[in-house]
Amino acid sequence: MSINFRLAWRNLWRQPRRTWLTAGAMIFSNMLIVFMISVQFGMYRTMIDNTLRSFSGHIQVQAPGFNDDQKMRQIVPDVAQLAAQLRTELQLDSVSARAIGFALVSSAERSAPAQVIGVEPETEPLVSSMPGLVSKGSYLVDRNAAEVVIGSVLARNLKVDIGDELTLLGNGPDGSFAAAVPVITGIIDSGIPDIDRALVQVPLGFFQDTFSMGTDGHSVVILAPEFTAIEQYRQRTSAILADRDDLVVLDWDPLNPGLKEALLADFVSAWLMYGVLIVLVAFSVLNTQLMSVLERTKEFGIIMSLGLTPGRLGRLVILEAALMGLLGLVLGVMLGGLVAWYFSIYGFSLPGMENIASRYNVPSRLYADVSLLSLLLGPSIVFVATLMASLYPALRLHWLKPVDAMRAV
Amino acid sequence: MRILLITARLAWRNLWRNHRRTVIMLSAITLGVWAMIAMTAMIRGMVDGMILDSIETLPGHVQIRHPGYSDDPSIEKTVAEPSGALLQALEGPEVVAWTTRVRAVAVVTSERDSRGVSLLGVIPDGERALSFIADDIVEGRFLESPDDPGIVLGRKLVERLETKLGRRVVVMSQDPDNELADRGFRIVGIFKSKLSAYEDGFVFAGQATVQKMLRIPGRVTEIAVLGDNYRDVGGLTGLLGNAVPADAEVLPWFELDKYLGSMLPMMDGFVLVWIVVVFLALSFGLVNTLVMAVFERVREIGLMLALGMKPAMIMSQVIIESLLLLVIGLLIGDLLAWLTMQWLADGLDLSIVADGLDRFGMSTTLVPALQARDVVMANVTVLILGFLASLSPAWRASRYNPIEAITKV
Amino acid sequence: MTAVKCIEVCRTFKQGDHKVIGLDHVSIEFAEGDFVCLSAPSGGGKTTLLNAIGGLDTPDSGEIYVAGKRIDNMSKGDLADMRLHNIGFVFQAYNLIPVLTAQENIEFVMQVQGVPAAERSKLSLDILKEVGLEGLANRRPGKMSGGQQQRVAVARAIVSRPALVLADEPTANLDSHATEQLMELFVELNTRHSTTFVMATHDQRVMNYARRVIKMLDGRIAGDIEQDPV
Repeated sequence: MSINFRLAWRNLWRQPRRTWLTAGAMIFSNMLIVFMISVQFGMYRTMIDNTLRSFSGHIQVQAPGFNDDQKMRQIVPDVAQLAAQLRTELQLDSVSARAIGFALVSSAERSAPAQVIGVEPETEPLVSSMPGLVSKGSYLVDRNAAEVVIGSVLARNLKVDIGDELTLLGNGPDGSFAAAVPVITGIIDSGIPDIDRALVQVPLGFFQDTFSMGTDGHSVVILAPEFTAIEQYRQRTSAILADRDDLVVLDWDPLNPGLKEALLADFVSAWLMYGVLIVLVAFSVLNTQLMSVLERTKEFGIIMSLGLTPGRLGRLVILEAALMGLLGLVLGVMLGGLVAWYFSIYGFSLPGMENIASRYNVPSRLYADVSLLSLLLGPSIVFVATLMASLYPALRLHWLKPVDAMRAV
Repeated sequence: MRILLITARLAWRNLWRNHRRTVIMLSAITLGVWAMIAMTAMIRGMVDGMILDSIETLPGHVQIRHPGYSDDPSIEKTVAEPSGALLQALEGPEVVAWTTRVRAVAVVTSERDSRGVSLLGVIPDGERALSFIADDIVEGRFLESPDDPGIVLGRKLVERLETKLGRRVVVMSQDPDNELADRGFRIVGIFKSKLSAYEDGFVFAGQATVQKMLRIPGRVTEIAVLGDNYRDVGGLTGLLGNAVPADAEVLPWFELDKYLGSMLPMMDGFVLVWIVVVFLALSFGLVNTLVMAVFERVREIGLMLALGMKPAMIMSQVIIESLLLLVIGLLIGDLLAWLTMQWLADGLDLSIVADGLDRFGMSTTLVPALQARDVVMANVTVLILGFLASLSPAWRASRYNPIEAITKV
Repeated sequence: MTAVKCIEVCRTFKQGDHKVIGLDHVSIEFAEGDFVCLSAPSGGGKTTLLNAIGGLDTPDSGEIYVAGKRIDNMSKGDLADMRLHNIGFVFQAYNLIPVLTAQENIEFVMQVQGVPAAERSKLSLDILKEVGLEGLANRRPGKMSGGQQQRVAVARAIVSRPALVLADEPTANLDSHATEQLMELFVELNTRHSTTFVMATHDQRVMNYARRVIKMLDGRIAGDIEQDPV
């Protein structure tokens, strides 16, 4: 251990209360930032995950323009066969074909307009969380049966239950009249009003018959095994479909317009607040180091008269700040990490969260996400700010004249 | 009082003995106070914008509806057009504007495609005073009378239906007896909206026309009322509650949209937490500054004690010094925050992340809302907590032993 | 009349594991108008005795009376009041409050006592003239010499006419010329206002001015000499 290091460390503890108070500001801010970022990351992850798993999946293959226009005639030809091909070539089970249409859904008493989705009953549960949320009855089984599952709010509005018949009235892509009367086999209760009010799913084969679509559909949905693997699967899918200029491969961002920006906006606005905390910490360090330099003027004068350069003394002052910053960093990360870790296991909820949570598709209990990034992102910036704040006091030493300094009280 | 004046003068002079330290601490307090107020105003502005955008786009501050409508929003649950006591109450001074509407789910079909929408039968003059729609026509005209035979569609819906101004669309819905009710309309106007969901999901027609189509003469599904302040609708709710017939209920906006309703209390909590967090980050520096100030003044404090000053006077001197520091910081911080608000009075353009904000139901221009209540809360919190934080250094200062203090080198 | 009376006053300090004797059964009386020098080598107990008389320190045992009032069992607040109204202090250094001017320093005690502003201002200007600092009323301590500062301290100590002035090594930081001036001021004030002066010092020049020199050693009175001042 170098003499500089030892000197800096001992200087810190000449005024233990001051050092603790300054480090305390860092520890407090670090704790808060570590905790907040962990919670944010946890929230973003569940928000993205829930949103993508609920319906859109990670990647979709569609006809160009379908994502924006949602026109029935923007088809993917032989959709089930394409899904099967991708399933084999990607060596991934979670690939499923869909067709999407629009119909007036009527019960004996009521009717409501709704988007009707044709799905592959065997593979749909692998790409979407909806089939798992059947609260009554069961999900679709037969890919050609005249069966339908609907959202719980829609069921209530239509005053229907399992076993009742629904009338679907709509138009095929060619403008032809489409009508069918499937039986309700299941009711899905996701807890998200927007989904429960609108969800209508039928088997793909039945959909194709009803809307006269032959073997065509509108998208192939792919759910990558990991969120981080999405890009890899997107590239592989694009490579497989390289010669198909009638198809496009989209990842989750265009499929969920606004989701990424919403998270970004949230993250940026949170950083405005962290920024304020960090600057306040920097002020605290600046004040402490400046005072500590000023009250040691005489001592520094003596040391300089012994032949030490202001530069070396300046480095000593910065080293002191760095040690203090390290203290704040270690303790802040430890304490903040502890709190975040606790909430990553037990989670927490805020009063009034339920309404907001269901609106944004996040669970009303939040779990922190503790990672190296969430632990170190904030505190390392605080640390850098600490070093920068000690620059001015360190540079002041260059103006110090040994003789005057020694005379100072 | 006399003693207080003496101490105040000493405190004031002491404050400027180490002007560097005082200026740094003042900067920190100023920044903290500015951040407290400016950020709070931003958040308030954001929430205000969100709520106003939402409730003044359509719902109004208060609605009168059939008691069963919330659970089962169907055309069966209607109320009579206002008359008698209710009409009198609506024409009273507490009501800024009111209108009636018929709202029904419907399917709009063009030659090319069809979509599910909310069909609103409105009274053009009433709507003009209450909601956005009449002002946001981008093509054609708004409806002219309750029995206008035309229809007004959102820009996005027109795109999706591949139709245009002057073309005809067919609107299908059902009457209270579940009989199909349909009618052809000519598109007379196209509107835009800050919220894309509105452009996609709402169509407007004359109320009398819609009543005739749905076979509900003289009945409406909602009476929307605008008071003068959305934050305080209790009086309005009570007033109308006494006047409505038995088969109707009065619901304030926060009951109509539970999600929006949960925003206000949540933000109140958030604002308080934010103010306290910033103060805590500040308090370390404040206590540190006071401790340093007391520490370097030990001899003088000993002298004053020896001269016969009571410890309480020493204590009040340190506390006054701290409060002076805080008050100056508060004044500058308040002023800066106010200037920032003036500068941002026209709103902050957030269009870079507009897509994401849309998802949160926010518009792309953020107009900060500086509330006297928040400013008072920030100032009072800082003073009270600052007073508490300075108690410990002040108490320690007053406990010095005069002999030790004087002889201290 | 006795100004100060000490009966069997004892005071010990702890310094680490050691017990240091500060005062060892000290009994002594000072008459009103006395001009006394406590003389002792370092650690002899002169400052301890001065602090005990001034109520800055409380003895372990024994009784102390100042102006007829027993002070060794007074509460802190009463002691503060007693100091404020009856005793003037002059210390070795750091006598003045740095952020106040000479005049404000002098007025400070009166201000706390509640003397009206006009009277305060007149008294303080008079006393500044008396200690020979006319024209320096608005200087802060940092802009004055050591001798000038001590004279301001003396002015503050006597301005509210206390019966007793306690001075601990008042000349320690002064050159001989300043010492002479300060002592002459003390003598003059002593004779003019018959204020009791008790000084602790080991400066022979100071002792020469005293009418009574009390020698102390190891916390005991070792000698009590009446003398004619030089």
